[in-house]
Amino acid sequence: MKALCWNGVRDLRVERVPDPEILNPKDAIVKVTMSSVCGSDLHLINGFVPSMKAGDIIGHEFIGEVVETGAGVKNLKKGDRVVVISVIGCGECQYCKEETWSLCDNSNPNGLLQEKIYQYPTAGIFGYSHLFGGYAGSHAEYIRVPFADHGAFKIPEDISDEKAVFVSDGVPTGYMAAEMAAVKPGDIVAVWGAGGVGQMAMQCAYAMGAERVIAIDRLDYRLANAARYSGADIINYEDTDVLEELKEATGGRGPDCCIDAVGMEAHTTGIEHVYDKTKQFLRLESDRAAVLRQAIAACRKGGTVSIVGVYAGLVDKIPMGLFMNKGLTIRGGQMHGQKYVPMLFDLIRREIINPEFLLTHPVSLEAGQKAYEMFNDKTNKCMRAVFKPFN
Amino acid sequence: MKTEHAIHSGKHQRKHKKEFINVNNAERLISLAAGGMLLAKHYKHPLANPIKVLTGAFLVYRGLSGNCPLYTGLDKNSNETNAINTRVIFTVNKPREEVYRYWRQLENLPFFMSHLQRVEQKNDVESEWIARIPGGVGIIKWNAEIVKEIPNELIGWQSIENSTINNAGKVEFYDAPRGQGTVLKVIFSYHPPAGALGEGVAKLFNPLFKTILKEDIRAFKQVIEAGEVATIKGQPSGRK
Ligand SMILES: NC(=O)c1ccc[n+]([C@@H]2O[C@H](COP(=O)([O-])OP(=O)(O)OC[C@H]3O[C@@H](n4cnc5c(N)ncnc54)[C@H](O)[C@@H]3O)[C@@H](O)[C@H]2O)c1
Ligand SMILES: [Zn+2]
Ligand SMILES: [Zn+2]
Repeated sequence: MKALCWNGVRDLRVERVPDPEILNPKDAIVKVTMSSVCGSDLHLINGFVPSMKAGDIIGHEFIGEVVETGAGVKNLKKGDRVVVISVIGCGECQYCKEETWSLCDNSNPNGLLQEKIYQYPTAGIFGYSHLFGGYAGSHAEYIRVPFADHGAFKIPEDISDEKAVFVSDGVPTGYMAAEMAAVKPGDIVAVWGAGGVGQMAMQCAYAMGAERVIAIDRLDYRLANAARYSGADIINYEDTDVLEELKEATGGRGPDCCIDAVGMEAHTTGIEHVYDKTKQFLRLESDRAAVLRQAIAACRKGGTVSIVGVYAGLVDKIPMGLFMNKGLTIRGGQMHGQKYVPMLFDLIRREIINPEFLLTHPVSLEAGQKAYEMFNDKTNKCMRAVFKPFN
Repeated sequence: MKTEHAIHSGKHQRKHKKEFINVNNAERLISLAAGGMLLAKHYKHPLANPIKVLTGAFLVYRGLSGNCPLYTGLDKNSNETNAINTRVIFTVNKPREEVYRYWRQLENLPFFMSHLQRVEQKNDVESEWIARIPGGVGIIKWNAEIVKEIPNELIGWQSIENSTINNAGKVEFYDAPRGQGTVLKVIFSYHPPAGALGEGVAKLFNPLFKTILKEDIRAFKQVIEAGEVATIKGQPSGRK
């Protein structure tokens, strides 16, 4: 089959590889009909997540059709149209039972490798480095889905592929961002990053009763989308002082909830960016934390900072004094998609959330390198490019 | 690495040795295992790590022949040492009775202990163990007996005197707090060589041994909780 493989930093190629096979009884094989790019892939492509190997198939946000099931698969059958959650959960460990699926004890074959860095192993993730299991990703014609009964969900007939594909990763991440931010009716919510994840967080914040959502980014087309599709007020951080602007917008108190939907490759203007870029380049700091710092500074006293933008290692200059003395709550995590899917289908059906506008560029696998360059450089008003391996 | 007192006495010292065998049996197995692994890991690019390959070859020789030229040279004998214990503690999300029952059925052990080929229970106490030596150097057999058993709480075993390799182990089972399954404490024990050289060699083995044990224990947890061991072996990639 054809698959889009990582061959080194900013080097993707389509290769001919063997078709995947059932390796364990609870596996299923899914024929991929749509597979989206995600901001997390950029961290791999730009070389900020260690343990990638040349030849790894990337991609983790996808839908498809079940073509084969292992002997231990009970809820799925050939022909089912499914969305598969990007994190893999066994369904039986303490963490899966508590619906914290991305913390699964049992789904990461490289758990010991990861334990050396994070002390405890976390769940495997499709196409997301060997630290996270080394599972082959979804930018391919077929993919093997372990623990398929738990990770693959039948898509209701009245939900289109164009919406369903983002229920794999972007939508649940946004939902969990708002949930961890403890959004309550009447809250003012600030979201850094108007990408797919940030905008899903905005829509979900409204779904939880937020009074007002403020989007912060520098890309005008994304801010325009945030206003149009996600109902947000907007701040372009290149034009103005974000902290002042947020005070202004909140009657001088600061937002109740601050969501970091940017992560370790945050871009900033001025001297802070030079500082972070240099340290990251010298490997003195692995992640650039400009957004996290700003969110902690902006948050109102007693408020909550929620982190879904991905960090991999160490950051620098976190304002602990502000966190401590303002009595903030900080939460973060990879999302627990399996927990949210049925509810998300329901919210989508009632049009309370709508991810469809994220699909700006349907492309073929062969266009992989170009599509990722476009997504990385944010050209052509790209929100997300989505591969259709069979077109 | 954790070095503790032996969980068993000096019972493992063999009384009679042929003159040219100056490496004891547990040590022989570990030599073979460590050597085989080093070789398997580095044989593809021997020039990239000649020291490891040489060490590997040496350990395999030492394990197969039972003779260590270094010991002969130094006039050291490795049979009089304290045991080194490797400990792993972990929790599985299943009731204690179930976990105990699975473990006590020794035939189950090869499902998660990657180097065990087969365990056959001869009677209530005695069993025969067959293991693959890592790196594909061969197989090794020994007999063991259950020396202590408290149902749902503890199993202790030990290789039978004069069997091919000398080792011992113990698993304790406790209830995890808040009814969240069972805590297992696993201790494996073997004899390192004596003296400064022995310590060096033990330092080489111990992390390896601990890693194997941890991998096996993780696999045990996966088998008993999830019913299968997560793997990516055999999946496609663009690697040639
Ligand atoms: N926690 C999870 O489970 C999970 C799941 C999916 C994605 N993610 C992470 O979420 C983040 C966003 O993903 P995405 O797909 O939306 O990516 P994306 O690249 O489409 O969007 C990121 C946005 O952040 C903006 N940005 C950069 N620096 C900024 C700054 N200083 N202030 C404000 N905005 C800034 C960019 O302009 C861009 O619009 C990534 O870090 C990704 O890894 C996490
Ligand atoms: Zn993602
Ligand atoms: Zn699990």
